[in-house]
Amino acid sequence: MNPVAVSASSAIGQIPADIASPVRIAVKNLNFYYSDFRSLKDISLDFHDRQVTALIGPSGCGKSTLLRTFNRIYSLYPEQRADGQILLDGQNILSNSIDVNELRARVGMVFQKPTPFPMSIYDNISFGIRLYEKLGKADLDVRVEEALRKAALWDEVKDKLRQSGMGLSGGQQQRLCIARTIAQKPEVILLDEPTSALDPISTGKIEELIEQLRTEFTIVIVTHNMQQAARISQFTAFMYLGELIEFGPTNKMFMTPNQKQTQDYITGRFG
Amino acid sequence: MAEHIVSSYDTDLQDLRRRISEMGGIAEKMLIDAIAALVRSDVPLAQAVIAADARLDLLQREVEESAISTIARRQPLAIDLRETISAIRVSGDVERIGDLAKNIAKRALAIAGQFQPQKIVVGLQHMSDLVLGQLKDVLDAYAARDTERALDVWKRDGAIDALYTSLFRELLTYMMEDPRNISYCTHLLFCAKNIERIGDHTTNIAETIHYLVTGETLAIDRPKNDRSIDATAIATGA
Repeated sequence: MNPVAVSASSAIGQIPADIASPVRIAVKNLNFYYSDFRSLKDISLDFHDRQVTALIGPSGCGKSTLLRTFNRIYSLYPEQRADGQILLDGQNILSNSIDVNELRARVGMVFQKPTPFPMSIYDNISFGIRLYEKLGKADLDVRVEEALRKAALWDEVKDKLRQSGMGLSGGQQQRLCIARTIAQKPEVILLDEPTSALDPISTGKIEELIEQLRTEFTIVIVTHNMQQAARISQFTAFMYLGELIEFGPTNKMFMTPNQKQTQDYITGRFG
Repeated sequence: MAEHIVSSYDTDLQDLRRRISEMGGIAEKMLIDAIAALVRSDVPLAQAVIAADARLDLLQREVEESAISTIARRQPLAIDLRETISAIRVSGDVERIGDLAKNIAKRALAIAGQFQPQKIVVGLQHMSDLVLGQLKDVLDAYAARDTERALDVWKRDGAIDALYTSLFRELLTYMMEDPRNISYCTHLLFCAKNIERIGDHTTNIAETIHYLVTGETLAIDRPKNDRSIDATAIATGA
């Protein structure tokens, strides 16, 4: 199947009033390279403030690569590079003048497998805060509690804050990671298949949490679960072979997509 | 359309289509036979129509159960979701068409052997021919996913409404002429109304086809020509 890429501006059409909000991240003509291999091809796409945008597509389509450009986590690897523009609140984060540590505090990330630090639940949260802020014990306690409450984990861990984060269940560990991200007070939260290793109940809790976090944060989620994308996102982008095929309001994408490729993919006819 | 990676998904959707196609065939035959039984006072034929309705009801339940099971097990999206929802809607309309044909057959039994004004019977037959054409076209449009043909059916329903209004007036006149006509004229009036309602169900199916193919509901109101309410006012001098 040959991909038919479309520009974001022509694909989006009319945004329904209930999900219309300013653009928080504007991706313009983004290309990404693993050494000589071009894995993102001229991507242009807007991410709206305090909305959940789902990135869907088959393995290797570039969705995780796109996610990894938003906090420049790729720059840990010298053979990986991006060109084009990613404007976060109008500022190009691909610019050399950007402080990547500061960027990663503004753009938090949660991975597929829970990655708690091998330390106490309390320290998992306070560790990141201490890197960026000098807070007294009382203020730090408030921030830890606030983050755990927002991650819907407080009631389950409030009596064992000094116990290791590694002792929690998979779903709790993932919410701990989300709490750790929230504690930095980021603007954007990136979620890379955050529930693919979780059971349905833990998945439900994370989805409920994402719904609540949307009131404060701009969220971008990569998921292989079509129903999950349909349930929790307001916008959906379908990618294939490094190109953006279609982008639009989730309702439209899952009921009447414009592109045949999108329809074939979401209905399980891809091949 | 390309096939699903999971081939049993295609089998499920094909099965829905096959059942609806069978339902359409039964409903068409029921309507043809019901009108023939009415016109010819054919009691065995009317009884056959009444008996045929059970199969239609069974198929409708099977379509519903199968569609619900598809939603539960496969969580269909986009065209597959519209296909599944449309199957539930269309089977409901076809089942109602069968009920209305059965009702005509019951009335054919009730008035079998009584004097029937030829002009009215011819009018009823003409109306049922129009509706039958609509039903055939809309079932073909459903099988072919042909939204243009469906829209044609949708637009033509006004002619059936107009014919119903005209029959209504004539029957009213017969009843006013001689109260002894009231019993069988009332039966014929219900038959005319049943045929007109079948026309309405064909337009419902046309609307569903439009939704199935385009994902959009028809925004404009269907043209309607049922003036029987005004006709009552004129006839009674109200």
